[in-house]
Amino acid sequence: MATVRIPTPLRPHAGGQDRVETAGATVGEILANLGTAFPTLRERLFDGEELRRFVNVYLNNEDIRYLDDLATPVAENDEVSIIPAVAGG
Amino acid sequence: MPAPPHDPLERYSRQVRFPSLGQAGQRALLASKVTLCGCGALGTVLANHLARAGVGNLRIIDRDFIETHNLQRQILFNEQDVRDNLPKAEAAVRKLRSINSTIQIEPVVTDIDHTNVLDLVGDADLILDGTDNFETRYLINDAAIKLGKPWVYGGVIGSEGQTMTIVPGKTPCLRCLIETAPPPGMTPTCETAGVLGPAVAVIASLEAVEAIKLLTGANDALNRDLIMIDIWDWTFRQLKVAGLLGKIDCPCCKHRRFEWLEGGMGSHTTTLCGRNAVQVAARRPEPLNFAELSQRLEPLGEVRHNAFMLRFATEGYEFTIFPDGRAIIKGTNDIAKARTLYAQFVGS
Repeated sequence: MATVRIPTPLRPHAGGQDRVETAGATVGEILANLGTAFPTLRERLFDGEELRRFVNVYLNNEDIRYLDDLATPVAENDEVSIIPAVAGG
Repeated sequence: MPAPPHDPLERYSRQVRFPSLGQAGQRALLASKVTLCGCGALGTVLANHLARAGVGNLRIIDRDFIETHNLQRQILFNEQDVRDNLPKAEAAVRKLRSINSTIQIEPVVTDIDHTNVLDLVGDADLILDGTDNFETRYLINDAAIKLGKPWVYGGVIGSEGQTMTIVPGKTPCLRCLIETAPPPGMTPTCETAGVLGPAVAVIASLEAVEAIKLLTGANDALNRDLIMIDIWDWTFRQLKVAGLLGKIDCPCCKHRRFEWLEGGMGSHTTTLCGRNAVQVAARRPEPLNFAELSQRLEPLGEVRHNAFMLRFATEGYEFTIFPDGRAIIKGTNDIAKARTLYAQFVGS
């Protein structure tokens, strides 16, 4: 199974975990399964079926928007990261 | 041994000896112009590095004044600045002039908005992000792309931060990376998540070194990634973002629609992150007459003023009013209430 890395601000919506092992053959499937397990996390990531526009998702270190978006295939041992916008300063 | 008076580069000798900078690099720094947007946590660290490194012309813009809770991380300020009610830009420039009296440093106490941003960055070789909000960052991004100037984004919360170097036409821009800002309530604020001084210092230092590279033409050494660092759990990541350039249907850098510059985006009255305060932006053509205004307010509450700001406390609210008419009203997060209070006590 692939690992999803959960950023600090979203960990309360993922049972406090920083990494969640999640099944799925694509980034979209993995995030859907993650959202089923953690419904309030899903709300933070998705607006309907679309990823919220201030949430970026990386497969390993690549932005999925220049890969195949949610259809990007994911292999065993790949890492999916949710990257929030950081505003402070 | 004291420096020979005829060698203006002597004070920079330790960085001039760094081979990738050298004398040519130092001369480029001395001839350069930088606009620093925001002089809080990131901004004070950036300004400190750049003034010491000999950036010849530094414009420092900030809309805010210094409070005691800033001192934990905003390295150019002290307790006396809080007692003196100094605006951040003014206090920073006073410190920086005592650090390096040989460069030009200009404080600007204002809120950066679509009406003034092009003037504030128009003569700069480089723009640096020391802000704490996406509204100002999108304005900077629009201005930078429109004018073809590089800028460096930095953001910090808790123990983590991000930075990215944006070179128009060569890298993705901020709107390629983050299409819209998170709405209030969707992300943690400085109040809920806090922020560590060292996290700010790490990100601002990375921004500063990118600034030095950009100003000295060391473009091959620039950061091409989105850098993410968490100093608490020791994660350092370089996320590849170069592939976003051209791939994203970016309104700003692809279609050259500058929606933030046109003033169609964002609000001019804003709640301030984690402060139970609202900023009311009501720019006036003439500076406010503080003497007159304090006379008017004296019967209604406690008033004091200096050349930079007027403080007025009444009914559980505290107003900080700047000469350009802008005010920060503490004691509410309600924008409509703040506008009403402003109209009641300052006038529209």
